[in-house]
Amino acid sequence: MTAAARTEPAALETAAVDAIADLARREVDALAIDRAGHVPAHVLEALGHFGAFGLTLPEAFGGSGAGLTLATRVIEALATVDRSVATTVGLHLGLGTRALVRYGTPELQAAWLPALSSGQVIAAFATSEAGAGSDLSRLATHVSTAGETLSLSGAKAYVTNGGIARVLTVTARCEESASLEKGLAMLVVPVGAKGVTRQKEERKLGLRGSSTTGFLFDEVEVPRSHLLGSPSVGSAQLEHTLSWGRTLMSAGCVGAAAAAFQMARGYTELRRQFGRTLASQPVVRGQLGRSSVMISTMRALVAACANAATDAELHRLSVSAKIFCSEETGHVVDTALQLHGASGYMEDTGLALLWRDVRVTRIFEGANDVLLTHVGSLELSTPTVYTAVPLLAQPAVQAVHRELESIKCNFGVRVFARPEILHDLGKAVVWRDAVVAGCRALPDEAWQRILADEAAPNVCSEHRRLHSRDDLDAVLQEPS
Amino acid sequence: MTTQYDPQWQHRMIQLIAQVSTMKAENIRLHHRLREDLGMDSVCSLELISMLAEEFNLQIPVEEAAQISTVRGAIDMAARHMHPVPA
Repeated sequence: MTAAARTEPAALETAAVDAIADLARREVDALAIDRAGHVPAHVLEALGHFGAFGLTLPEAFGGSGAGLTLATRVIEALATVDRSVATTVGLHLGLGTRALVRYGTPELQAAWLPALSSGQVIAAFATSEAGAGSDLSRLATHVSTAGETLSLSGAKAYVTNGGIARVLTVTARCEESASLEKGLAMLVVPVGAKGVTRQKEERKLGLRGSSTTGFLFDEVEVPRSHLLGSPSVGSAQLEHTLSWGRTLMSAGCVGAAAAAFQMARGYTELRRQFGRTLASQPVVRGQLGRSSVMISTMRALVAACANAATDAELHRLSVSAKIFCSEETGHVVDTALQLHGASGYMEDTGLALLWRDVRVTRIFEGANDVLLTHVGSLELSTPTVYTAVPLLAQPAVQAVHRELESIKCNFGVRVFARPEILHDLGKAVVWRDAVVAGCRALPDEAWQRILADEAAPNVCSEHRRLHSRDDLDAVLQEPS
Repeated sequence: MTTQYDPQWQHRMIQLIAQVSTMKAENIRLHHRLREDLGMDSVCSLELISMLAEEFNLQIPVEEAAQISTVRGAIDMAARHMHPVPA
């Protein structure tokens, strides 16, 4: 694993991914994990011995030093077997440790990264709050100076890996003082520190093997060296950390969708209705074909994130990937369940578990509707310039360009007070990014044509809204 | 050299900025950065520019609005698009 990660040549990389997929198939029982509500210790130990928890951590501290390309493939492979396991590892590699790896001081890294690389210590990321979900500008948790140390107070909710983590990266606001810059801080907080209270395990619809808890911080004192980077550029640091998290989460969506598709394909090839197999019926073939194209497009978009040349490009693409992959994995898994008929609704087939597991991907790491508005806003202020666009992706690129010009002309800067317009633009941008990535990667034009057809209604602005805000007010005043 | 504006107009601008940000008007300074110091994210800071445009009936190009990063920058931009410029 270490050698594979160091050089990342395709063959070694594939061997590493195959090996961890074999390990997962051998050690992991997804239905048993769902029933038990946690990932068994022997699975975490096996993943630790394999090097999964150190995959993207520096070699100097016992990790493999791999980048997002290999990490996304590993998370996809794990998610085909079990999403709770993939989430536990993916959260550790992305949100849990990325800020420490990139912005931590050498001393802080030396203190934590060896144990984090081996999996002896699992990491979590604490940012959501009861009053600030996707809106980070409303964070109430704050940090201040207390002599030579920092003092952290506040409460965090829905912390993935919360029940098994021994170290947290916590986001907090800091007010200006003589020795502390104003801004958004990320700091490393040991779960065992005085004043840290771990709250009860949450009960969830899916991902039941993945731990989720809240945390209370009551004047928790940590050394100044636990501050990651600088609060004055904290927003940019957080953006980079979230970009890693979203990319790895998107890879998990690919794995979940691929698993559902394999089940649907296998079932429909055996199941006979009206004298022929389901898989030979045109309507079913259309659904399977669409699912297959969408999975390949999701994978291409994730690969585009992993290959991003700059932090800004990674940020932009990772938001598109997060939205597209979470929405499409929902469709693919739902289609697979539908194709299974009643048996898909039964827990023993594993599809009901998949369906429950993937639902949260549209919510965590930024709720999709909030992110769509963000994407639209970002595109208006910093339009994406694509070059060498494949022929079948050009209509989507042109449609978004026309929409941008139309919005600028009709609304000017006032559009930023119209989130519903930004939301629709965001949707078109996400589909455009997916079509460009997909058409660059998909094997031939048949796949590209299916993708372009799926994208067309989502990027085309010819159908304008007929209703207004007043119409919505009128409807919502009436009891349903 | 920094431009001086009509104090009442500038105060109104600061009040609008306070409305969008998490800060009280009396704590907002001209040198404050919209994101790092006032806690606005990118969407929130663009919403602010939109609100200024609405309040003062300004035609501000989207590209120009996207460049604004400080309270002073927002006020200067609003003034540039006003006729006559408040003094």
